[in-house]
Amino acid sequence: MAMRREGGGGFGRRRFLFRRRKYCKFCEAKTQWIDHKDMKTLQNYIPERSKILPRRISGNCAKHQRDLMRAIKRARSIALLPFTSD
Amino acid sequence: MPTYETLFITPPTLSDDEERTTVETLAAIVTEGGGEFTANERMGRRRLAYPIRKFDDGVYTRFLYDAEIEVPKELERRIRLSDNVLRSLTVRLEDDWAAAAKVQAVKDAERRAEQAAEAARLAEEEAARAAEAAAAAPEAPTEEAVEAAPEPAADPAAESTEEAKPQEAASAEKEGE
Repeated sequence: MAMRREGGGGFGRRRFLFRRRKYCKFCEAKTQWIDHKDMKTLQNYIPERSKILPRRISGNCAKHQRDLMRAIKRARSIALLPFTSD
Repeated sequence: MPTYETLFITPPTLSDDEERTTVETLAAIVTEGGGEFTANERMGRRRLAYPIRKFDDGVYTRFLYDAEIEVPKELERRIRLSDNVLRSLTVRLEDDWAAAAKVQAVKDAERRAEQAAEAARLAEEEAARAAEAAAAAPEAPTEEAVEAAPEPAADPAAESTEEAKPQEAASAEKEGE
Protein backbone atom coordinates (compact mmCIF):
# COMPACT_ATOMS: atom_id res chain seq x y z
CA MET A 1 0.00 0.00 0.00
CA ALA A 2 2.69 2.43 1.07
CA MET A 3 4.83 1.34 -1.88
CA ARG A 4 2.05 2.07 -4.32
CA ARG A 5 1.49 5.47 -2.89
CA GLU A 6 5.15 6.28 -3.17
CA GLY A 7 5.20 5.10 -6.75
CA GLY A 8 2.21 7.23 -7.63
CA GLY A 9 3.63 10.06 -5.57
CA GLY A 10 6.64 10.29 -7.86
CA PHE A 11 4.45 11.33 -10.75
CA GLY A 12 2.27 13.45 -8.53
CA ARG A 13 5.22 15.26 -7.06
CA ARG A 14 6.61 15.92 -10.47
CA ARG A 15 3.34 17.49 -11.54
CA PHE A 16 3.18 19.43 -8.36
CA LEU A 17 6.63 20.84 -8.98
CA PHE A 18 5.60 22.17 -12.35
CA ARG A 19 2.29 23.61 -11.17
CA ARG A 20 2.36 27.38 -11.06
CA ARG A 21 1.56 28.85 -7.73
CA LYS A 22 -1.79 30.63 -7.70
CA TYR A 23 -1.93 34.15 -6.38
CA CYS A 24 -4.59 36.80 -5.94
CA LYS A 25 -4.47 39.09 -8.96
CA PHE A 26 -6.34 41.79 -7.10
CA CYS A 27 -3.78 41.82 -4.30
CA GLU A 28 -1.01 42.07 -6.83
CA ALA A 29 -2.71 45.04 -8.46
CA LYS A 30 -3.40 46.50 -4.99
CA THR A 31 -7.10 46.73 -5.82
CA GLN A 32 -9.11 48.44 -3.12
CA TRP A 33 -12.55 48.00 -4.60
CA ILE A 34 -14.06 46.09 -7.45
CA ASP A 35 -16.45 48.11 -9.57
CA HIS A 36 -19.67 46.42 -10.64
CA LYS A 37 -19.50 48.39 -13.91
CA ASP A 38 -16.00 47.18 -14.77
CA MET A 39 -17.00 44.46 -17.20
CA LYS A 40 -13.47 43.87 -18.42
CA THR A 41 -12.38 42.68 -15.00
CA LEU A 42 -15.57 40.87 -14.06
CA GLN A 43 -15.67 38.95 -17.34
CA ASN A 44 -12.45 37.18 -16.36
CA TYR A 45 -14.27 35.51 -13.47
CA ILE A 46 -17.39 34.47 -15.38
CA PRO A 47 -16.90 31.10 -17.03
CA GLU A 48 -19.16 29.75 -19.73
CA ARG A 49 -22.14 28.97 -17.53
CA SER A 50 -21.97 32.43 -15.98
CA LYS A 51 -21.15 31.10 -12.57
CA ILE A 52 -18.68 32.86 -10.34
CA LEU A 53 -15.24 31.33 -10.73
CA PRO A 54 -14.34 29.63 -7.45
CA ARG A 55 -11.40 30.70 -5.39
CA ARG A 56 -9.73 27.34 -5.66
CA ILE A 57 -9.33 27.98 -9.37
CA SER A 58 -8.70 31.72 -9.53
CA GLY A 59 -6.49 31.77 -6.45
CA ASN A 60 -8.10 34.95 -5.15
CA CYS A 61 -7.69 35.82 -1.50
CA ALA A 62 -10.78 35.70 0.71
CA LYS A 63 -11.28 39.45 0.84
CA HIS A 64 -11.07 39.98 -2.88
CA GLN A 65 -13.20 36.95 -3.66
CA ARG A 66 -15.86 38.47 -1.42
CA ASP A 67 -15.56 41.87 -3.13
CA LEU A 68 -15.67 40.18 -6.52
CA MET A 69 -18.76 38.19 -5.57
CA ARG A 70 -20.50 41.36 -4.46
CA ALA A 71 -19.58 43.18 -7.68
CA ILE A 72 -20.78 40.29 -9.84
CA LYS A 73 -24.07 40.04 -8.00
CA ARG A 74 -24.64 43.76 -8.38
CA ALA A 75 -23.80 43.60 -12.07
CA ARG A 76 -26.31 40.77 -12.45
CA SER A 77 -29.07 42.76 -10.84
CA ILE A 78 -28.82 45.48 -13.48
CA ALA A 79 -28.44 43.11 -16.40
CA LEU A 80 -24.78 43.81 -17.05
CA LEU A 81 -24.07 40.15 -16.41
CA PRO A 82 -26.34 37.14 -16.86
CA PHE A 83 -27.50 34.99 -13.96
CA THR A 84 -27.22 31.96 -16.20
CA SER A 85 -26.45 31.23 -19.80
CA ASP A 86 -27.52 28.26 -21.95
CA MET B 1 -22.59 63.67 3.07
CA PRO B 2 -22.13 60.17 1.74
CA THR B 3 -21.70 59.53 -1.94
CA TYR B 4 -24.18 57.41 -3.86
CA GLU B 5 -24.19 56.02 -7.32
CA THR B 6 -27.47 55.16 -9.00
CA LEU B 7 -27.55 53.27 -12.25
CA PHE B 8 -30.82 52.82 -14.03
CA ILE B 9 -32.05 51.41 -17.29
CA THR B 10 -34.68 53.05 -19.47
CA PRO B 11 -36.37 51.28 -22.38
CA PRO B 12 -34.78 51.81 -25.80
CA THR B 13 -38.19 52.59 -27.26
CA LEU B 14 -38.46 55.93 -25.46
CA SER B 15 -38.16 58.96 -27.68
CA ASP B 16 -35.30 61.34 -26.97
CA ASP B 17 -37.74 63.76 -25.35
CA GLU B 18 -39.34 61.13 -23.14
CA GLU B 19 -35.96 59.88 -22.08
CA ARG B 20 -34.78 63.38 -21.27
CA THR B 21 -37.84 64.19 -19.17
CA THR B 22 -37.52 60.90 -17.28
CA VAL B 23 -33.87 61.56 -16.47
CA GLU B 24 -34.55 65.19 -15.60
CA THR B 25 -37.41 64.34 -13.24
CA LEU B 26 -35.19 61.88 -11.42
CA ALA B 27 -32.27 64.31 -11.35
CA ALA B 28 -34.60 66.94 -9.89
CA ILE B 29 -35.32 64.67 -6.92
CA VAL B 30 -31.63 64.67 -6.08
CA THR B 31 -31.12 68.41 -6.43
CA GLU B 32 -34.34 69.27 -4.59
CA GLY B 33 -33.30 67.00 -1.75
CA GLY B 34 -30.11 69.01 -1.36
CA GLY B 35 -27.95 66.52 -3.24
CA GLU B 36 -24.98 67.53 -5.30
CA PHE B 37 -24.26 65.92 -8.65
CA THR B 38 -20.78 64.93 -9.71
CA ALA B 39 -21.93 63.05 -12.77
CA ASN B 40 -25.18 62.67 -14.64
CA GLU B 41 -24.00 60.54 -17.46
CA ARG B 42 -25.82 58.75 -20.25
CA MET B 43 -23.83 55.56 -20.63
CA GLY B 44 -25.62 54.72 -23.82
CA ARG B 45 -27.62 51.87 -25.25
CA ARG B 46 -26.41 48.46 -24.29
CA ARG B 47 -27.54 44.89 -24.77
CA LEU B 48 -29.09 43.51 -21.58
CA ALA B 49 -27.64 40.28 -20.21
CA TYR B 50 -31.19 38.96 -19.96
CA PRO B 51 -34.49 40.35 -21.24
CA ILE B 52 -36.38 42.68 -18.90
CA ARG B 53 -40.06 43.29 -19.69
CA LYS B 54 -39.34 41.73 -23.09
CA PHE B 55 -36.69 44.34 -23.91
CA ASP B 56 -33.35 43.02 -25.10
CA ASP B 57 -31.65 46.42 -25.03
CA GLY B 58 -31.66 49.24 -22.54
CA VAL B 59 -30.29 52.73 -22.13
CA TYR B 60 -28.08 53.06 -19.08
CA THR B 61 -27.86 56.29 -17.12
CA ARG B 62 -25.58 56.90 -14.20
CA PHE B 63 -26.01 59.40 -11.37
CA LEU B 64 -23.10 60.06 -9.05
CA TYR B 65 -24.05 62.41 -6.22
CA ASP B 66 -23.49 63.44 -2.65
CA ALA B 67 -26.66 63.46 -0.59
CA GLU B 68 -28.25 62.57 2.70
CA ILE B 69 -29.78 59.12 3.02
CA GLU B 70 -33.35 60.37 2.35
CA VAL B 71 -32.44 61.31 -1.21
CA PRO B 72 -31.54 57.88 -2.61
CA LYS B 73 -34.50 56.46 -0.68
CA GLU B 74 -36.89 58.86 -2.36
CA LEU B 75 -35.15 58.34 -5.70
CA GLU B 76 -35.58 54.59 -5.49
CA ARG B 77 -39.22 54.97 -4.49
CA ARG B 78 -39.91 57.17 -7.50
CA ILE B 79 -37.98 54.84 -9.78
CA ARG B 80 -40.14 51.95 -8.62
CA LEU B 81 -43.27 53.96 -9.44
CA SER B 82 -41.99 55.03 -12.82
CA ASP B 83 -42.95 53.00 -15.87
CA ASN B 84 -39.99 54.35 -17.78
CA VAL B 85 -37.32 52.69 -15.70
CA LEU B 86 -36.70 48.99 -16.20
CA ARG B 87 -34.17 48.41 -13.44
CA SER B 88 -32.04 50.41 -11.07
CA LEU B 89 -29.18 49.92 -8.67
CA THR B 90 -28.11 52.34 -5.97
CA VAL B 91 -24.83 51.83 -4.19
CA ARG B 92 -23.24 53.85 -1.46
CA LEU B 93 -19.59 54.30 -2.31
CA GLU B 94 -17.01 54.06 0.45
CA ASP B 95 -14.93 57.17 0.95
CA ASP B 96 -11.81 56.29 -1.04
CA TRP B 97 -13.83 54.71 -3.82
CA ALA B 98 -16.08 57.78 -3.92
CA ALA B 99 -13.10 60.11 -4.18
CA ALA B 100 -11.61 58.10 -7.03
CA ALA B 101 -14.97 57.85 -8.80
CA LYS B 102 -15.42 61.62 -8.62
CA VAL B 103 -11.99 62.30 -10.05
CA GLN B 104 -12.71 59.84 -12.84
CA ALA B 105 -16.13 61.36 -13.48
CA VAL B 106 -14.65 64.83 -13.84
CA LYS B 107 -12.01 63.48 -16.21
CA ASP B 108 -14.65 61.66 -18.25
CA ALA B 109 -16.76 64.80 -18.48
CA GLU B 110 -13.74 66.78 -19.69
CA ARG B 111 -12.93 64.12 -22.24
CA ARG B 112 -16.50 64.09 -23.50
CA ALA B 113 -16.52 67.88 -23.76
CA GLU B 114 -13.27 67.74 -25.71
CA GLN B 115 -14.68 65.11 -28.02
CA ALA B 116 -17.81 67.16 -28.57
CA ALA B 117 -15.70 70.23 -29.33
CA GLU B 118 -13.56 68.18 -31.71
CA ALA B 119 -16.64 66.82 -33.45
CA ALA B 120 -18.07 70.32 -33.76
CA ARG B 121 -14.78 71.57 -35.18
CA LEU B 122 -14.66 68.74 -37.71
CA ALA B 123 -18.24 69.38 -38.74
CA GLU B 124 -17.44 73.05 -39.19
CA GLU B 125 -14.40 72.25 -41.32
CA GLU B 126 -16.47 69.81 -43.34
CA ALA B 127 -19.09 72.48 -43.93
CA ALA B 128 -16.42 75.00 -44.90
CA ARG B 129 -14.90 72.52 -47.32
CA ALA B 130 -18.28 71.76 -48.85
CA ALA B 131 -18.95 75.47 -49.21
CA GLU B 132 -15.54 75.92 -50.85
CA ALA B 133 -16.21 73.07 -53.25
CA ALA B 134 -19.56 74.59 -54.10
CA ALA B 135 -17.91 77.95 -54.70
CA ALA B 136 -15.20 76.36 -56.86
CA ALA B 137 -17.69 74.66 -59.14
CA PRO B 138 -20.78 76.85 -59.26
CA GLU B 139 -21.08 76.49 -63.02
CA ALA B 140 -21.16 72.69 -62.78
CA PRO B 141 -24.39 71.75 -60.99
CA THR B 142 -24.88 68.38 -62.74
CA GLU B 143 -22.60 65.37 -63.03
CA GLU B 144 -22.47 65.44 -66.83
CA ALA B 145 -21.35 69.02 -66.77
CA VAL B 146 -18.46 68.18 -64.45
CA GLU B 147 -17.38 65.29 -66.64
CA ALA B 148 -17.47 67.49 -69.68
CA ALA B 149 -15.51 70.24 -67.96
CA PRO B 150 -11.80 70.53 -68.84
CA GLU B 151 -9.36 68.64 -66.59
CA PRO B 152 -7.84 71.20 -64.21
CA ALA B 153 -5.06 68.94 -62.86
CA ALA B 154 -1.84 67.77 -64.54
CA ASP B 155 -1.83 64.51 -66.53
CA PRO B 156 -0.18 62.16 -63.99
CA ALA B 157 -2.84 63.06 -61.44
CA ALA B 158 -5.64 62.61 -63.92
CA GLU B 159 -6.79 59.29 -62.50
CA SER B 160 -7.15 60.57 -58.95
CA THR B 161 -9.06 63.65 -60.03
CA GLU B 162 -11.28 61.36 -62.05
CA GLU B 163 -12.16 59.52 -58.84
CA ALA B 164 -12.62 62.64 -56.78
CA LYS B 165 -14.96 64.25 -59.27
CA PRO B 166 -18.28 62.52 -58.53
CA GLN B 167 -17.94 63.37 -54.85
CA GLU B 168 -17.30 66.98 -55.64
CA ALA B 169 -20.25 67.02 -57.95
CA ALA B 170 -22.43 65.42 -55.29
CA SER B 171 -21.51 67.98 -52.66
CA ALA B 172 -21.96 70.76 -55.18
CA GLU B 173 -25.40 69.42 -55.95
CA LYS B 174 -26.28 69.27 -52.26
CA GLU B 175 -25.18 72.86 -51.80
CA GLY B 176 -27.25 73.80 -54.82
CA GLU B 177 -30.37 72.46 -53.19
